[in-house]
Amino acid sequence: MARILDMHLHSEASDDSRAPVEAYLKWLARKRDERPLEGLVLTEHRQFNKAGDYRDLEDKYGLLILKASEVETDYGHMLVYGVNDDILNRFDFKNVRLSAQEVISEVARLGGIAMPCHPGRPTIGLIEHYQKRPPLEGVVGVEALNGGSKKGENERVAGLVQAYGYHAFGGSDSHLVSFVGLCATEFDRDIKTIEDLVDTLRAGGYRPLDFRVQRPQTPIAPEVPYHGSGI
Amino acid sequence: MALEFDRSIIGQIFDETAFPPVTKEEILAFTTALGEKNPLYTDEAAAAKGPYGGLVAPPTFVTKLRAQKFTPEHLPKFGKMGFDGGRDLEIHAPVRPGDALKMASTIHDIYEKTGRTGSMYFIVIRNEITNQKGEKVAVIDHRIMQR
Repeated sequence: MARILDMHLHSEASDDSRAPVEAYLKWLARKRDERPLEGLVLTEHRQFNKAGDYRDLEDKYGLLILKASEVETDYGHMLVYGVNDDILNRFDFKNVRLSAQEVISEVARLGGIAMPCHPGRPTIGLIEHYQKRPPLEGVVGVEALNGGSKKGENERVAGLVQAYGYHAFGGSDSHLVSFVGLCATEFDRDIKTIEDLVDTLRAGGYRPLDFRVQRPQTPIAPEVPYHGSGI
Repeated sequence: MALEFDRSIIGQIFDETAFPPVTKEEILAFTTALGEKNPLYTDEAAAAKGPYGGLVAPPTFVTKLRAQKFTPEHLPKFGKMGFDGGRDLEIHAPVRPGDALKMASTIHDIYEKTGRTGSMYFIVIRNEITNQKGEKVAVIDHRIMQR
């Protein structure tokens, strides 16, 4: 049962991460005061890690662990929650040129939900594609807060959310153990299963949370009282 | 449309290299170069009382081994340029002085991904290293990135 989940992270099952799932859980246990998460969703790149069985780790660490996927489409990357055999038979997740409209529509029809991630990112974010092509139909929400984004990329998403009325959620996009849970999503209802998660993502009642430590800006020069003329 | 190439090249051994037996001096030179002080790798007497019952090489020792051919003759090309995309090292058994190591090289995987700057293609060259007993010593996956 969980209300605060990291909705986007990669383990060693992804080609570009070497983070073991248990290491993420140990880190969260250590950082509980700063990052009060109750679960996480593993979103491996271009695959669904069907074989991964984390029930023992869930019991050991008292955290919910769900599995999803990050796929690549002609409108950028998307997180697919509620992946099942029908969805896996319908799409080749290794294909980096999936039709975004087909992913959104067909995943919904087959019982899951596909949601664009890091939409403010160049080339692989939704916003850049919306500037060139018509908006997608059936988008319910977007990852408005992504822990792997560069300066300005998350900031671009507020306008998208407002313009299209999308729900907003957050995830760390962690590939490294120490990044887990820096960005997350708070839900109004308890999430126990992937089905709960899909239902809730469709219905709304969630928001991104930012647990990144905001470091104070170091002045580049000692502050000096201003006695200028005002010119 | 998925990435198109002749998939029969995946898993085919394109190089087998046999190395001369590992010497104690070779291990000690490697540890000196790294600044390694762990007695398991540097002190024969102390290592004899350790978990391996003798001197062993540090785990990364196998990364110094070089195959005769690093890539196959007909390496697929997916872009204009390529560069080192990093490597993964999986350790299975310790390397000891006297070990005669062999390395078999294959193309383990080829895949495409997209990022901020566009498409990237990865070719994974796998080196599987065994010893004279046929034991698997290590697996090294080299990623060549092309774009």
